Amino acid sequence: MITPFSDGGYASGAAALLIGAAFGWFLERAGMGSARKLAGQFYLTDLTVFKVMFTAIVTAMLGVFWLGWIGVIDTANIYVPETFLIPQIVGGVVFGIGFAIAGLCPGTSCVAAATGRIDGFAVVAGMFAGVLGSGILFASLRQFYDLTPRGVLTLPQIFGVSEGLVVFAVVLIAMAGFKVANRIEQRNSAA
Amino acid sequence: MNDDRAIRVLATAALALGALAVVAGSPRKSGPALDVAQLAREVSNESDHVTAVELAGWIRDRKAGLRIIDIRDSASFEESHVPGAVRQSLDEVAVAPVKDGETIVLYSGGGAHAAQAWVLLRSRGVKDVFFLRGGYDEWMDEVMNPRFPRNAPPEERAAMDSIAALSRYFGGVPRNVDSLIVRNRDHDGQASWKAAVKRARGRGC
Repeated sequence: MITPFSDGGYASGAAALLIGAAFGWFLERAGMGSARKLAGQFYLTDLTVFKVMFTAIVTAMLGVFWLGWIGVIDTANIYVPETFLIPQIVGGVVFGIGFAIAGLCPGTSCVAAATGRIDGFAVVAGMFAGVLGSGILFASLRQFYDLTPRGVLTLPQIFGVSEGLVVFAVVLIAMAGFKVANRIEQRNSAA
Repeated sequence: MNDDRAIRVLATAALALGALAVVAGSPRKSGPALDVAQLAREVSNESDHVTAVELAGWIRDRKAGLRIIDIRDSASFEESHVPGAVRQSLDEVAVAPVKDGETIVLYSGGGAHAAQAWVLLRSRGVKDVFFLRGGYDEWMDEVMNPRFPRNAPPEERAAMDSIAALSRYFGGVPRNVDSLIVRNRDHDGQASWKAAVKRARGRGC
């Protein structure tokens, strides 16, 4: 079995560039470079972001699961980030606040900047300033950064069920989410 | 209308693949990360542990990336510990993040818990991890209160002197004694100072 492009060499660099370019292209084509469209998610008038992201999750999940099952990729080689409960909750809240205020997230801010939007440039600059700042302050942040370590956690592990069952549950949740999102959009556009 | 049809087809395909996944169970994975035979080799060639004297040398020489973890209870840790050590429970050691380039040294009161923690970390794929086989007792006996026989042969004297200097660096009190009452013996039954001398000379670990 193989895990393509995991060698860290030129092939993985080239693959990353291609995938990144395609990702940016499709984000832009889906209208994700517009802060107004993204902010619509928080006002429940436009849930495109939710639908696009959940579609990506379901597609990737089914792809990885079945490619792993037929033996094309070795899922043991897939990096699963470790869980640090408190710092990740705090990070998620900070990220959410930033997302709601800027109307852009990291990927979409790059798309917005690439299409010449000034708010996109501002968010990208803020993002790099934040990365640089936390890098400089890392020594003093380290204690917080390492709080409440839980190791590598996955849903099958937490619930004690097979990966296939989790895959099916996520697909069902996505489908239900799409239905609800469509209803909310229709109701709010009619209002 | 075509869009609606395409969405329906894709949604049905996703549901079908999801439902089949329940039957499929789990994707294939390569064998376990834990190479038991490799661990056994490390134990038998004694590359799983460091001696207290070696650890003392690493601390004095400020070995890059050295992290010393004390897994005794907090009262014992508060009372005294190896300089620079941090206290962690066995549960914490099992999930604690380890960075590339770090060398972990574990010790407990005796040696059992530290050896178990070594297995936990090695099974997580952490490579540079060692434990003090004689635990904190070994640190106290070999570094803080080393005792050497007064009538030691000259070829062993130089190594003893270097251990004595190391001991003084940590505020220890090396002593020459007429008859050595052996408190610790290593696994071969050798007097522990002798093992320390042997290691200091040959770095056989």
